[in-house]
Amino acid sequence: MGLQENLNAETVRSLPLRNPVTVSLESTHNEVVEQMQSRRLGCAVVIATDGKPVGMFTESQLVRLLAENHPNFDLSVSELMESDWPTVDQDAPIVEVLKLMRKHDVRFIIVVDHEGILVGLTGQRGILEYIADHFPEQVMVQRIGGTPHLGNREGA
Amino acid sequence: MIEEFRDPLENYDPKEYCDPIERTLAEESVLTIQHRPYTAISPETSVKDALRTLSALDISCLMIEEGGELVGVFSERDALLKIGTDIDSKGDNPVSDYMTANPIYVHDTSASASALCVTAVSGYRHVPVVNLDGHIQGIVSPQRVTEFLTNQLSLN
Repeated sequence: MGLQENLNAETVRSLPLRNPVTVSLESTHNEVVEQMQSRRLGCAVVIATDGKPVGMFTESQLVRLLAENHPNFDLSVSELMESDWPTVDQDAPIVEVLKLMRKHDVRFIIVVDHEGILVGLTGQRGILEYIADHFPEQVMVQRIGGTPHLGNREGA
Repeated sequence: MIEEFRDPLENYDPKEYCDPIERTLAEESVLTIQHRPYTAISPETSVKDALRTLSALDISCLMIEEGGELVGVFSERDALLKIGTDIDSKGDNPVSDYMTANPIYVHDTSASASALCVTAVSGYRHVPVVNLDGHIQGIVSPQRVTEFLTNQLSLN
């Protein structure tokens, strides 16, 4: 089966989902950034008490905060989070993740169950790992880094 | 007696691909993926100015260039992991103190799969493209890879 068929046939739960950083609406930016640093993750999902995602704080928002003259990291995350971050049902076809990333111009997509409860995170890296698994002969053998193809060959 | 010439490639069969996107990954150059515009700054630029540039241009990664050659990248992830909320003590330092030095890059002659390989294997999401002389040609961002894949898969 080709990649396109697989992306339509397989569901999001077959992607390598990541366990996200989760924070509450009252968490301060200081606390959120500390958690993102310790988990080395570029985003934190803000969840309500019922376990449903209500927003997202990403490293892009941190950069915007750092670029300000006197950033205040004691504000609660609800002040700066993106409140309409795209989510995908874990039983939706994988192709939905690609469509949502393109439509919303984001790298992370929140994965939820049929009741809207957070189950994980996927996105750019998950999709690329899936494609690499699909075409290992093409993707996993590439020459990267500092070993250039010869520009000028001498002799035969 | 002169032996009859036989073409050593007479039985060569061109590679067959199971999927059109597999052919593109293997045979089209990385330049097929959008890699411009890009923004490069000098290693002496202050962290604060680098962050302001990222924020003002709404981009996620700057290339650090010295003498026309790539010496590093400074991305949102570097800002998260190495600056965090310590902007008061680190903001005036040169960006070279916090950049990712000697980043993994691909050559403009490499296959498009090479950019996917960097992310799938190493986890780096921004992939500088350099020519054989080491000069920057552009950068492949996660959003540009998503656009490339959705175009290849006709998901618009």
